[in-house]
Amino acid sequence: MIPVQLAFKVLRADRRTRTATALTALGVAVATGLVLLLLSLPFATQARAERAVWQEPYGSQGDGPPTLLVEASTDFTGGEQIDRIDVAALADGIELPDGVPELPGQGEVLVSPALYQAINRLPAEQLADRFPGTIIGTLGDDALRFPEQMVAVVGHSPDRMPSTANERAGFVPASAAEVDPVLSLLAGVGVVVLLVPSLVLVASSARLIAARRERRLAALRLAGATPRQVVTITAAETGIAAVVGALLGWAVSPLLRMLAGLVPWDGGGWMAGDFRVPAGLTALVLVVVPVLVVLAAVLGLRRVVNNPVGAVVEHTPKPLRWWRLLALPAAGLFFFVAIDRGDDATMVLLGLALMIGSAILVGPYVTSVIGGFFVQRWRKPSGLLAGRRLRNDPRGAYRASAGVVLAVFTGSMALTLMPSFDAMAGGGGTYRDSVLMVESAGERAGEIADRTNAALARYGVANRAIAIPEVVLQTGGNSGYFALVMTCEDAVSVFRVQDGCDGPGVYSDDLTDVDGLQVSGSYQGQGVPLPPDTPVKPITQTDSDGSPPVIVDPSLLPAGITAEDGRVVVDTAGANPEVVRTALLGAADGASIYSRGVYLGGQHDQLDDLRRVTIIGVTVAAVLAGCSAAIATAGSVMDRRRTLGALMAAGTPTNVLARALRMEAALPALVATIGSGLLGMIAGLGLFSLFQEGKDNVAAVLSPWLAAPVVLGFAVALLAASVCTPALNRVRAEPLADE
Amino acid sequence: MLSGRGLAKRYGEQVALAGVDIDIHTAEALAVVGPSGSGKTTLLHVLAGILRPDGGTITLHGQRIEQLSETKRSELRRTEFGFVFQQGMLVAELSAEENVALPMLLGGARRKDAIAAAREWLGRLGLAGREAARPGELSGGQAQRVAIARALTHRPKVIFADEPTGALDTVTGGDTMNALLSAASEAGTAVVIVTHDVELAGSLPRSVVIRDGRIAEQVGVRR
Repeated sequence: MIPVQLAFKVLRADRRTRTATALTALGVAVATGLVLLLLSLPFATQARAERAVWQEPYGSQGDGPPTLLVEASTDFTGGEQIDRIDVAALADGIELPDGVPELPGQGEVLVSPALYQAINRLPAEQLADRFPGTIIGTLGDDALRFPEQMVAVVGHSPDRMPSTANERAGFVPASAAEVDPVLSLLAGVGVVVLLVPSLVLVASSARLIAARRERRLAALRLAGATPRQVVTITAAETGIAAVVGALLGWAVSPLLRMLAGLVPWDGGGWMAGDFRVPAGLTALVLVVVPVLVVLAAVLGLRRVVNNPVGAVVEHTPKPLRWWRLLALPAAGLFFFVAIDRGDDATMVLLGLALMIGSAILVGPYVTSVIGGFFVQRWRKPSGLLAGRRLRNDPRGAYRASAGVVLAVFTGSMALTLMPSFDAMAGGGGTYRDSVLMVESAGERAGEIADRTNAALARYGVANRAIAIPEVVLQTGGNSGYFALVMTCEDAVSVFRVQDGCDGPGVYSDDLTDVDGLQVSGSYQGQGVPLPPDTPVKPITQTDSDGSPPVIVDPSLLPAGITAEDGRVVVDTAGANPEVVRTALLGAADGASIYSRGVYLGGQHDQLDDLRRVTIIGVTVAAVLAGCSAAIATAGSVMDRRRTLGALMAAGTPTNVLARALRMEAALPALVATIGSGLLGMIAGLGLFSLFQEGKDNVAAVLSPWLAAPVVLGFAVALLAASVCTPALNRVRAEPLADE
Repeated sequence: MLSGRGLAKRYGEQVALAGVDIDIHTAEALAVVGPSGSGKTTLLHVLAGILRPDGGTITLHGQRIEQLSETKRSELRRTEFGFVFQQGMLVAELSAEENVALPMLLGGARRKDAIAAAREWLGRLGLAGREAARPGELSGGQAQRVAIARALTHRPKVIFADEPTGALDTVTGGDTMNALLSAASEAGTAVVIVTHDVELAGSLPRSVVIRDGRIAEQVGVRR
C-alpha cells in the first residue's frame, strides 16, 4: 500500500509530476482510443458484408430443393451505384434476410430509402421506369451495406426471370459474408503506422519527469528502499496515469468511431453500430496498454535499481554499437522476401512493422554519429551544445524525432503508391466513355435494340441503339479472332478509333488478310469461309489504352451464321445519359449496363477512398508525431532545468540556448526524415509490386512530391522544437529556483 | 564599484530584503553571512542582476543596472560578472575545457581563443590533464574548480559565489576557497561569497551579516 500512497503523495505535492502524469494519461488515452478504433475496422467491414451478402446471387446456400431464382446487376444514376436484385420465388416460406420485409412478386419492387428518394426526385424516364412494377415497401437498414446504399429488389414470376438467373435454396446467409480484403490490409497498415506514433507519444510524455523521478527514486534507494519497492513505486506512479488514460481512451472511443463512421468507403458511409469491438478484446486492450506502459517505465529503472548512487551523479553513457545498423537491411530483407512470396499479407505487414521497428535501433546510432561529427567540427556554442547532447544521449535526442520518422515514412510510402495507382488506372475497353453497352444472347440483341429505340423515341431522344452480333474468325484448332459485326461508320461512332472507313471490309489493327479464316457464330460453331477477296483494312485506336476489336461489315457475313452472343450499344452523347440508360435497361430486363465512363469513375472513386484514408492516417500520424516531438523537447528542457538555469543566470541569452535546443532537434530530424523518406519510398515500391501483378507494363511513378513528407516532417520537427522557447522562458523567470 | 542602495525584495507576503545598502569594491573579497531565510541569496541575485529588486538602486561604475532590460542584464552578467554555485552547475555533456570556454564562446570569442583561455585557467587551478574529463568524471572539488575557472575565464569585475563549498568536505572546501580567492586576486576580481560558514567568513577581510532582510552587522574593513 505504501508505494501507491507515495505515488499519490508525489502527485498531490508536485505540480510538474501532475502535469507529466496528465500528459502520460492523455498519451495513453490517445493510443488506447486509436487502437480500439483500428481494431474495430475489420469488424465494421464484416458487419457491412454480413448485411449485404444476401444481395449476391452466388455463394453458400442451405440444403434442399431450390426455392428462388436470383440475378444481381449494377446500375448507376448520377454516378451513384444502384444494386439491383431480380428475384422470383419457386416455393413458399422462403426465409427472408434481415431488413427485407417481404419477397416482391411479379410486378412488385422493394427499394432502399435512398433509392426511393431518388425515384421521387427524378423524372420517371430518368430512373423509375427502370424498375417495372409497383413499389411495395422499403428495405430496412439491416439489409443495406451502408445507409445511403441504393438497392432495388425487383420481383418476377419464374418464367420472366433473365436466363442467367441462379437457382438457389434460399438467400446467401450472413454467415457466408467475406471481409473486404483491401480495407483489412489498410486497417493492418493503419495499426502498424499509427500504433507506433501513439506509443512514442506515451513514451515522450512519460519521459517528462523521468530524470526527476530517477533522482527521487535514487534518494529512496539510498534511504534503504529495496529494488522491489522502487519498482513497485514506479509501477504505481505510471500505473495511475496508464489506467486513467486507458479508461479515458475507452470512454472517448465511441466519439472516434462516430468520426470514423463519417468517412465514406466503397460508395458510402457506415451504420452507427458497425465500428464495434467485442467486449473481450476491449478488456484485453484496456489491460495490455497500461501493462505495456508500466513495463516500459519499470525497464527504464535499470540504472537506479542496479546502482542508486549512479543515478544521482552524472554518468558517461556507453557508446552505441555499429551493429544496430544491421537491423535495417535485415528488416528490409524480410519485407522483400514476404513481398516476393506475395501470398501472406500478415508476413508483409510484419515486414513493414520490422522496417519501422528497425528505426528504433538505427535512429539513435545515426543520431550519435551526427553528434560526433558536430563535436569535431563545431564553430558556435549552439553547435557544441547540440553535438555533445546528441553524442551523449542519442536515444533521448532521437526520441523527439521518432514520431516524425513514422509520419514521413508513411507519407512517402503513400505518395509512392498513390501516383502509381493513378498510372495503373484506365482500361475498360475501347468504347467511347459516353457509350452504354449491354450484353445479350445473339438472337435477342436486335429485339433489345428495337425496344430501346422505341423507348428513346417515346422519351424524345434522337440517339439510337445498335445491335451488334459477335462472331469468331476461326484460325483452326479452336482458336480465332473475336469480331463484331457492324459497319465501319457505326464502329467509329462507338469506339475510340480514327475515322478511316473505306467501304465494306474486315477492319483490324492486326490482321493483314483473311486467307484461311472461317467465320462462325461461336468458338465451337461450324466455320464458313468469308467471301473471296474480302478486303482487310486497318483500324487505328486514338489512344494507347487497349486495342480495337476486329470489325466485320454485315454485308460480308455469309448467310446462315447465327451469332451465339451479341451486344447492344447506344451513344448517350448529346442526350441525357440517365434517360438513355433507362431506355436501354428497360429493354434489357435489368441486365447490367457497361459504361467505360462509369468504369473509370469507379476507379476514380476507389482512388479517392484510398487517398482520403491515407490523408487522414498521415495527418493523424503527423499530429501525434508533432505532439511527441514537442513534449520531448519540453522534457529535454525540464531534465536540464538546473544546468540551463545556471547558464541563464550567468548571462547566456535565451535565444542562444533555444538555438542549441532547436539544433539538437533539427539535426537528427533532418537525417531521420530524409532516411525515412527513402525507406518509405522503397516500402511503397515493394507494396506496389503486390498490386502490379499481371500488369508489368505499368511502372511505379516517382514524382517530385515525394520530397513533400520529408520537408513537412522536418518542418513539423522544427515547429515542435520551437516549444523550447516558452519552456526556456519559464526557466528564465526563475533560473536558480530549486526544482 | 558595485553599489546597492535601499534594496527591497518581497516574495508574496514574505520580505526577503528590506532596504539593504551595500558597496563592493574593486578586487575585494566580501562574505555575506546569516541564518537560513535571512535574504543572503536574494541579495546576491539582486546585486548580480538575476532578480530585479522591488525597490532601491544598483549601480556598477556609476551606471544604474536594475532598470536595464533582461537582455542588457544578461549581457552584463555575461561580461562583467562570474558565478560559482554550490553544485557547480556544469553542463553535463561538455568536457571540463568546453565548460570553461562556454562563456567566452557565448560572448562571440573564437573557438581557438576560448579553448586556449580555458586550458590556461584550468592549469592555474590545478586541473591540467583533466581538460577532457566530463563533470561526471570529476570529484566534487575538481568540479567546483572547473566552475571557478569558468567564472574567471572572461575576466569579470565581480564573482558571485553562492555556498561554493557547501557540498564539499572541510579540507576540499578550504582548498577550493583558496583557489577561488587567489585566482580572483590575481585577476583583480572582486568576490562576493554567500556562506553559512562563519569560519570561512572570518577568514575574509570583510563580511556583512544579514538578518530578516537587513544588514545587521558589518565586520572588517576594506582591504
